[in-house]
Amino acid sequence: MKVEVDAITKSYAIPVLAGVTFQAAEGDFICLLGPNGCGKTTLLRIVGGLEPPTAGEVRLDGRPVLYGGASNLHVGVVFQEDRLLPWMTLEDNVALVLKPLGGDARTRLATARRYLRFVGLQGFETYYPNRVSGGMRQRAAIARALAIEPGLLLMDEPFAALDAQNRRIMQAEVRRIWADTGKTFVFVTHSIEEAVAIGTTLVMLSARPARVRELIRNDGTRDPHALVDHLNQVIMEEVERQQGEPCR
Amino acid sequence: MTARADGSGGWEAWTRRLRLPTVVVFVAVLVGWELASRRYGAYVLPSPEAVVAGLAIIVRSGELWTHTGASLYRIVIGFGGALGLAIVMGLASFLWRPARVVVRDVVTVLNSTSVFVWIVVSLIWFGLTDLAPMFTTFMITLPVVAANVVEGVESVDRRLLEMGQVYRLSGWEKFRAIVIPSTVPHLVAGMKVGFGLALKVSVVAEIFGVTSGIGYIMNYSREILATQMVFVWATVMIGIMLLTDKLLFESLTRRLERWR
Repeated sequence: MKVEVDAITKSYAIPVLAGVTFQAAEGDFICLLGPNGCGKTTLLRIVGGLEPPTAGEVRLDGRPVLYGGASNLHVGVVFQEDRLLPWMTLEDNVALVLKPLGGDARTRLATARRYLRFVGLQGFETYYPNRVSGGMRQRAAIARALAIEPGLLLMDEPFAALDAQNRRIMQAEVRRIWADTGKTFVFVTHSIEEAVAIGTTLVMLSARPARVRELIRNDGTRDPHALVDHLNQVIMEEVERQQGEPCR
Repeated sequence: MTARADGSGGWEAWTRRLRLPTVVVFVAVLVGWELASRRYGAYVLPSPEAVVAGLAIIVRSGELWTHTGASLYRIVIGFGGALGLAIVMGLASFLWRPARVVVRDVVTVLNSTSVFVWIVVSLIWFGLTDLAPMFTTFMITLPVVAANVVEGVESVDRRLLEMGQVYRLSGWEKFRAIVIPSTVPHLVAGMKVGFGLALKVSVVAEIFGVTSGIGYIMNYSREILATQMVFVWATVMIGIMLLTDKLLFESLTRRLERWR
């Protein structure tokens, strides 16, 4: 799914986003980077249709995103928290979101199991979320997002709650899933190393009110260490610019 | 050293399992009861044996079932009605924000109303009929259950509802998969408290006007100076309470919490 973010502005009591514009092609892995509190999550929610922008437009495959009520987007979202229903088994959690797409119960369950297997949760289909680790819950949340076969997968710091080891494993896992599915991913992270390791398009936002400070094609032609150093320097500049201002 | 530690550990485990401290207090009370009974006479305080004998009599005569059945019937109707209305109130406050405020205020007012008010009012309205204790039970348990249901509805995780929105679940599907499971534990907690209250309240209401039920027979026993029967029926009430708690609510709670 092609993503066009066109002059998105969002203000609450204070301006958060001030004309964010970028485009990404079908099959891109976009990482949204920026200093803490600069509006990365807000931007992701606007792209996903969860919150309307104050001004500007997001187009997915040329069609503007609609806000409020039913929309015709095909977008999967993985939140910071897994947001699984604790009273449902992993397979029921995944099968639940297939209901609006139709199909009988058996087909839905089969699809749910297929995607759980795809994210490496074979054997845990009938477990309740509280019985598995945080990393596994986040895998199940990814399986749920993939099961609806979205054109676009949005992820909001999905590994923020994981320990370093699980985080690295999940990064590799997401990269594999992205390569296997060929879908467009938008991934919010505050970790530059993570973004450089998994993203193909890095969108660095400025301090609030955010604009796109830099858009980098991370296609392997640039030395990752140099890129990390460069981005770290950019983020420090932005943080210094923001200093003294309260964080959101 | 180890052996002694093990021994005392086993001793402690057994003490816990048999609730030995409770048993000790219990036996002490029984002994005190027996002594007091001898000192003051059976009219003031019947002996424990008299109570056990009385219990045997009502089991054999079948009185146990008639009066318990009559009381439970009134409780089930009164409390069941309260439960139904409380669920409707919870639904309303979920679907419509202003209803939440109204329900809260109604609950506050009802909660500050005395049992006696409802007993007197129900006697005026319904006279000496079954409806009087039913209505009293209904009015007293309604705020307790409603408060719990509304609390349950408010405890629904907004983030889960947002997830439902992202995946375009229908309103009914969100309600069934997210709202009901979040609310039911609160409902069961409310039912547990409400049922206990229903039993206590309906028995008081039965003192007036009706000719069956535990409250009626206790008051009647007092009038014919059969004090031991007052104690027998009190024991029956305690028994009902413990049984419903163990059999109904504990298993219900366990079933609800299997995913925890």
